[in-house]
Amino acid sequence: MATPETGVGAEYQQRVADTMTTTLTRLLDRSEPVTVDMRLMDELGLSSTLALELLLECEDELEILIDVEQMDQDQMKTIGDLATFVAENSRPS
Amino acid sequence: MTSLDAVSVYLPPTRLPIEQLAGSLGLTEMQVKLFRRFHGLREVGRDPDMSLSDLLMKAAAGLDALRGQEHRVRYVLYARAMPVVAPYPVNALHEVCRALGLQHALAFTVTQQSCASGLMAIDMAGRLLAADTAPGPSHRAGDPAGPLALILAGEKAFTHDAQVFADTTVFGEGSAACLVSASGARDRLLAYASNVRGDFDNATGENDARLQREYRPLLAEVMLRALDEAGLTLDDIRVILPHNVNMVTWQRMCLLLKFPRDRVLLDNIPASGHVFCADLFVNYQTACARGLLQPGDRYLAAAVGAGGGATFAAMVFEH
Repeated sequence: MATPETGVGAEYQQRVADTMTTTLTRLLDRSEPVTVDMRLMDELGLSSTLALELLLECEDELEILIDVEQMDQDQMKTIGDLATFVAENSRPS
Repeated sequence: MTSLDAVSVYLPPTRLPIEQLAGSLGLTEMQVKLFRRFHGLREVGRDPDMSLSDLLMKAAAGLDALRGQEHRVRYVLYARAMPVVAPYPVNALHEVCRALGLQHALAFTVTQQSCASGLMAIDMAGRLLAADTAPGPSHRAGDPAGPLALILAGEKAFTHDAQVFADTTVFGEGSAACLVSASGARDRLLAYASNVRGDFDNATGENDARLQREYRPLLAEVMLRALDEAGLTLDDIRVILPHNVNMVTWQRMCLLLKFPRDRVLLDNIPASGHVFCADLFVNYQTACARGLLQPGDRYLAAAVGAGGGATFAAMVFEH
C-alpha cells in the first residue's frame, strides 16, 4: 500500500510487512503463517515485550532505527497497522 | 500541610553496564538488547562491599538539615519495595537510627505497596505529624521547631527479584533520605491519589497480560485524580518526576497524557535504573540541580508498585 502523504514507498512498506509476518511466525512458533490482517493482541496474544522484540528483530533485519517514541500502542490493532507505522517512522541505521 | 523539608540522595559511584549483569541475572542476549535499545536501561549502581546500613547512612549523612534537629524527629519510615532486604538478624533501619541518634523515634518499615511505598511513606509521615500537631492550646501554625519525620529509601540488589523485573526493568542500588514536616515552606504536598489493586497478584503469572494492558491507563487515572484533588490540570505541571521503570513506558505515558516528553525527568533511567522507592527523591534532586523547579512550580510524582498485586500512585507538590 503506497502512502503518498508521507512519501513512504510501497515497496519498502511491503518489505517491512513481510519481515514482520515472517519474524512473528517464528517468534510465536506457529505452524500456520501470520498474515498482515491479523490482530496483534486479540488474535495473536502479542505481549508488549514480544512486540518490542519484534521491532528489534525488524531493526536488525532491515538495518533501520524505529522511532518508538511516537508509537501509540493503542492505535496498533493489526500487523498491517504496525508495519505502516514502522515504514513511516524509521530511518537507516 | 505536609512538606518535604530536605532531601539527600546517594548513588554508588561504581556503575555496572547491564551486559555485565546478564550472566548473573540469567538475561538472554535479546533481553539485554531490549533493555538497552527500547527500555533505555544502560547501567546501574552496585557496590557489593557496602552494607545496606551503610548505603542508607550515605544518604542520611548528606541531610544537613537533620543535624542538631534529631530531637524533633518523631518517626523514621523506611520505604522499601522488597519484603526481604537483608539476611536475619540484620536490621538496617534500627542500625541507622542508632547511628543518627534517633533511638527515641518510632521507626518502622512500609513495604506493602512495592515501589509505590515511597509515596505512601510521605503521605503516612504527613498524616502522623498532622495528628501530632493538631490545633490545641500549645499549637502554633508553621512552628519552626515542630515535629519531623525522616523517610529513608533505597535497597541492596540482594535477591534475584531485587535485581531485575522480567522484561521490564533492572534495579539499581542507591539511597535517599527526606525530612518531612507538617507545616514546612518547601515542597508542599497538595494531593495524593492511589489505587491499590490486589487482583494483579503475579504469583501465577496469569494476570501479567492484563496488567500490561491496564498499566498505563491506571497510572494515568491516579495522576489525573491527584491533579483534580489539587484543583489543577496537567497544564499547571512544570515537570513530572516518574518512577524509573524504563523509557518506553514513559514515552507511551506521554502519548496517553498528551504531555511533552521533555518535561518528564527521564535522565536517571539510563544511568541508575530503577532505584526502588528512592526514584522520586533521586529525580527530585536532579530536577533541582538542573534548575527545572522554580519557587511556586507545581510538579507531579508518579509510581507503580508491582509484585504481590499492584499499586498505582501519584502526588502533586508545590515547590
